[in-house]
Amino acid sequence: MSDFPDPDEEYELMYSDELELMKENEDKTDSNPIKQKSLPAKRSLDFSSHISKNTNHHENIESNKKDEDINLTPSLQNMEDVLAQTNVPSKRTAEDLFGDINDIDFDNLELPSKRQKTDEENDFELINKILEGRRLKQLLTEPASGGNINTKANFDVKDNISINIPKWPFMPLTNSDGDRIYIRLESEDNWNKSLEMDTEQLSLRATYSSAWEEAQKICRYSSSCGWMFVTRWPFMPLTNSDGDRIYIRLESEDNWNKSLEMDTEQLSLRATYSSAWEEAQKILEKKEQQTLKEDNTQPIIDTAENTSLWVEKYRPSSYIDLLSEEPVNRALLHWLHLWDKVVFKKEVKTKDPQQRTTFSKRAGQFQLTNKWKGKKESEPELDDDGRPHHKVALLCGPPGVGKTTLAHLLARLAGYRPVELNASDDRSTEAFRSALVSATSMRSVMDVDRRPNCLILDEIDGAPTQTVELLVKWCTTTVAEGAKRKAKTQPLRRPVIAICNDLYATSLRPLRAVALTVTVGSVSCARLASRLAVVASYERLRVETKVLSALATRAAGDIRTALHVLNFLRAKTKLTISDIENVAIGTKDTSKSIMQALQAVFTLDNTKPEAFHRIIQAAGEYDRLVDGIFENYTTARVDTRLHIASETMSSLGFYDTVQAWTMRCQNYSLYGTLPLCIARCHRLLATRTYHKLKFPMQAQEMYRKKAELDSILVSVWRGSGPHVVTNRDALKLDVLPLLPYLLTPTLRSANIQLCSESERSTVRTCAGALCDYGLRYVQQRASDGLYTYQLEPDVYKIAFMGTEERIRPQPVIRQAIAREQQLEIIRRNEEMAARVNPRKSNENIKKMEEKVANVAEKETRLPNHLQRLKPKTIEKRTPQVSKYYLYLYHKTEEFVLIC
Amino acid sequence: MSLWVDKHRPKDLMKLDYHKDQASRLKNLVQQSDFPHLLVYGPSGAGKKTRIMCLLRELYGSGAERLRQETMHFTTPSNKKIEIMTVSSNYHIEVNPTDVGIHDRVVIMDLVKNVAQTHQIDSSGQREFKVVILNEVDDLTKDAQHALRRTMEKYVATCRLILIANSISRVIPAIRSRCLTIRVPAPTENEIVSVLHSVCKKEGLNLPSELALRIAKASDRNLRRALLMCEACKVQKYPFTPDQKVPEPDWQQYIRETASMILTEQSPKKLGEVRQKLYELIIHGIPPDMIFSGLLCELVRNCDISMKCQIASYAAEYEHRMRLGNKPIFHLEAFVAKSMAIYKKYVEESLGDAF
Repeated sequence: MSDFPDPDEEYELMYSDELELMKENEDKTDSNPIKQKSLPAKRSLDFSSHISKNTNHHENIESNKKDEDINLTPSLQNMEDVLAQTNVPSKRTAEDLFGDINDIDFDNLELPSKRQKTDEENDFELINKILEGRRLKQLLTEPASGGNINTKANFDVKDNISINIPKWPFMPLTNSDGDRIYIRLESEDNWNKSLEMDTEQLSLRATYSSAWEEAQKICRYSSSCGWMFVTRWPFMPLTNSDGDRIYIRLESEDNWNKSLEMDTEQLSLRATYSSAWEEAQKILEKKEQQTLKEDNTQPIIDTAENTSLWVEKYRPSSYIDLLSEEPVNRALLHWLHLWDKVVFKKEVKTKDPQQRTTFSKRAGQFQLTNKWKGKKESEPELDDDGRPHHKVALLCGPPGVGKTTLAHLLARLAGYRPVELNASDDRSTEAFRSALVSATSMRSVMDVDRRPNCLILDEIDGAPTQTVELLVKWCTTTVAEGAKRKAKTQPLRRPVIAICNDLYATSLRPLRAVALTVTVGSVSCARLASRLAVVASYERLRVETKVLSALATRAAGDIRTALHVLNFLRAKTKLTISDIENVAIGTKDTSKSIMQALQAVFTLDNTKPEAFHRIIQAAGEYDRLVDGIFENYTTARVDTRLHIASETMSSLGFYDTVQAWTMRCQNYSLYGTLPLCIARCHRLLATRTYHKLKFPMQAQEMYRKKAELDSILVSVWRGSGPHVVTNRDALKLDVLPLLPYLLTPTLRSANIQLCSESERSTVRTCAGALCDYGLRYVQQRASDGLYTYQLEPDVYKIAFMGTEERIRPQPVIRQAIAREQQLEIIRRNEEMAARVNPRKSNENIKKMEEKVANVAEKETRLPNHLQRLKPKTIEKRTPQVSKYYLYLYHKTEEFVLIC
Repeated sequence: MSLWVDKHRPKDLMKLDYHKDQASRLKNLVQQSDFPHLLVYGPSGAGKKTRIMCLLRELYGSGAERLRQETMHFTTPSNKKIEIMTVSSNYHIEVNPTDVGIHDRVVIMDLVKNVAQTHQIDSSGQREFKVVILNEVDDLTKDAQHALRRTMEKYVATCRLILIANSISRVIPAIRSRCLTIRVPAPTENEIVSVLHSVCKKEGLNLPSELALRIAKASDRNLRRALLMCEACKVQKYPFTPDQKVPEPDWQQYIRETASMILTEQSPKKLGEVRQKLYELIIHGIPPDMIFSGLLCELVRNCDISMKCQIASYAAEYEHRMRLGNKPIFHLEAFVAKSMAIYKKYVEESLGDAF
């Protein structure tokens, strides 16, 4: 049967009973076309459904092979199953296996009986096909299902196999040592009919072969157990290799006789037998090896109970079962109870009764609840609407500590119906909004208790930022706002619990501000071990406490992992420490933060020397780690002679060399040595005392500053004129460090006109240099509101190491230089123009100089806006002005009119 | 009216102030019709570029002095757009391929091919080849240097290369053998003094020879620096006095301070302070090898000879490692820590002897 029924099949499934009835009535002339259409497919289904139906017919054969008295073990399983399961032989497994066998056998035996019933003679072809398919299936796949058929359990091997000549129809089988076994054959009528037909014989042969196989197996068993018996029913004698005889009950001896009369039949039979014998032999050998290994003290495990995972099975169902820390549970529960006023319309316990209870309790026992702090805290817990101050509780913690369980359990405990929304659901804003609305403002009709909903948003750190923002908006909406918007966004009236692993995920930033953050820490090893012990005792698993504590340590607080490992190891008889240590699945994927790793480098831990490497490798980022070592090593140990420092530095230098080589050549063969360098630093630097370590920031800070200065340098370099441009190193090392000295002329007076000729030429030189190197004085408004001239780009930063202000010229001089520079620029432009057309040049220069003088003056008084409006311009534009007046006049008239 | 450095740069091979012998040989070389690829190397501020510009003028006349700045664009095989600034005249193009970092090979391939594949339109009365000047060849990646090899031979008819380097130790031998290598040594202090005097004479200033000598000493045999210092002196105080303060680049002073910090106290705490200073130097783009040499010079000043050897050998070792690695600060600090340890040991021993 297919796992995914298509529409046709669904239809068939729905009407399978009807169809079966129709079949049994041999209603071939059914006029309904639809039903007829579905018939061929139905047949295949029909066969499988008959398997379960008709098992009663073949119980004898199945039960042939079952004998609990001789501790019969299943052997037709494939190798792995044998290895895994035969350690624990039991009734159940035997039944399962026989069920499997039954499934195979049945198909072959089924045909005659079915034919007798339905008599679909013209469907031979189809039957053969199915037979072939079945056989293939038998060969290729291990039949897995059928274990649930328990009806054959009351049959006994003794009924079907006998050594004496039985009274019922039988097939005689002869052992290798000459004994005979009589195996009962079933439904002789069927046999009779079927054997008369040649076409059917093929299927018969197949049947016999399997029967023979079973018989052989049983032979082996009975012989290995040294137990022989002869039955009274029809049997087939079988002879063992060691000479014992087993009688297997056979059905329909008449059929058998008939069939045996045929030579062809016998040949094929023999062939079948030989192959079957070989197979049986192999399986038996395997079995024997297994039995040697078997331990007598094996616990008996019910396979039926294994259907549910332990994690599910032992999920805490009451508050007492919770493994998380008590304060954590309390905090969440308390928060949930704060919603009572809004949700259940009952008054939240205020601080007074709380105090009273603590008072009464104080008399009886020591209680922590009466903290003075508690009074203060309870003050802002409820807002004006009677809702808690924090609308959302944010549970965070590592995976597997039981956050989801806690949320569900407490929600139920507080009287809510938990509604979970997790990463598997669509979390786009639209879907999220609808989920929020439905969860918080509706109530389940189907629920018996009529409980209000409590929304649990699992794995919220994976949700997109918009979604989280929506949630935050939803939560922060107050009643007033809600009223304004006319029920478009109702204020939140139900508790919302968000669960995340990483509290500091970027998407959670808005939520963190408004949510009550409850951190669920990882469970302590002792608590986890004790819980594991409880689980083990429930499962009748004998495990030492030491082993359990080792397991708990290995799980590192992850309950889920620990239970999974225990579940996985359950098959073993005795759990030892080495089992726990060797199991590959138990290790948590430990991702250590860089600071943890750094702390590990600087702390000496003799108990677990090998753990250091694991931590380093788990942390990964070696570069960061090395930076961290570099920034912290000087304070790590007392090191007056600096031997440790120089050793550490040389190993860090080695690290750098290897790392650079790896990156340059893209050859990672030496990458493995990088953690060794860190390990060497650990050897040198580790102490037992705790150090406060700094997070490595210097390197990045340096990189940032360097980039800033480099950009200044590049801008100077690009701006400098073609005839002075040099390479950048020369600019950086020679020119720029000395340029500030050159740009700081000493002038007696700020007014350039009053200066001597030599002073003026100095200023001109400065201006020329500024032009050459593309520098400019730019007016900038300082923080105190004054305008100052700043050099752009700021070469002072490159030239000096933190002492920039030392050489800067006075503001007046800067102003003078700036003005001179503008003149210089114009002069140079003139020169360029003169080169192109030399005639105009001389006249223009003078004119331009005058203009520039004006411009420069204006520029210098830039902050004073009134001075820009010179009367000269007004003079020039007198006609314009009159026009303007006219216009104004006109306008006023209009204005009057309008008034 | 620009800086003296730029204003008084000689423009003719025969007007150079020093290495006149070499200059006349270069003149002879140019006057012959053939002219090989050149590899000009020497320390910074020795006058490599000046000589090359003179050479170009000798080759093409004054047209080679009309320079323009252009930005050229290239596309790397990985489709990254890169741009590079070039300075060119009608006859030559100058480029600094290391500006684009590891993509310098693309620049060399494309640029040199572009230039080399175009012939001069008007070949009468002109040279048949153009000149490509490549700066900082010693910092080229190996790939770029190998790309240069074949190009140099293939386009020799239309293009000559002038390579400028500080040192040829990092230029691959294949390129060295394809070029005529010309070493431009740094000027001696006397030569610097005479240059300073001649410049001051042109400016109409009176320079005391003591001051000139002091400037020459402070300039570290770097003529560019010497001229800038001299002009800075003039701006700060004129008329000159023989004992006036000579301004020098701040980073040199900073390195000296760092070295004196190392010598005053040897402790991990001091090491941390020194590290901040080293960081500051690196941030300002001072090449780490210069920091190494500056520190070494200061550190060995007051040591006996055995300690000098020891510290110098460690400096060499760590500097070598630094070139192999990526993070100069590690190696600088390693050297500082080591020299502190050596110095401390030395001090303790000498104190022990005293008692």
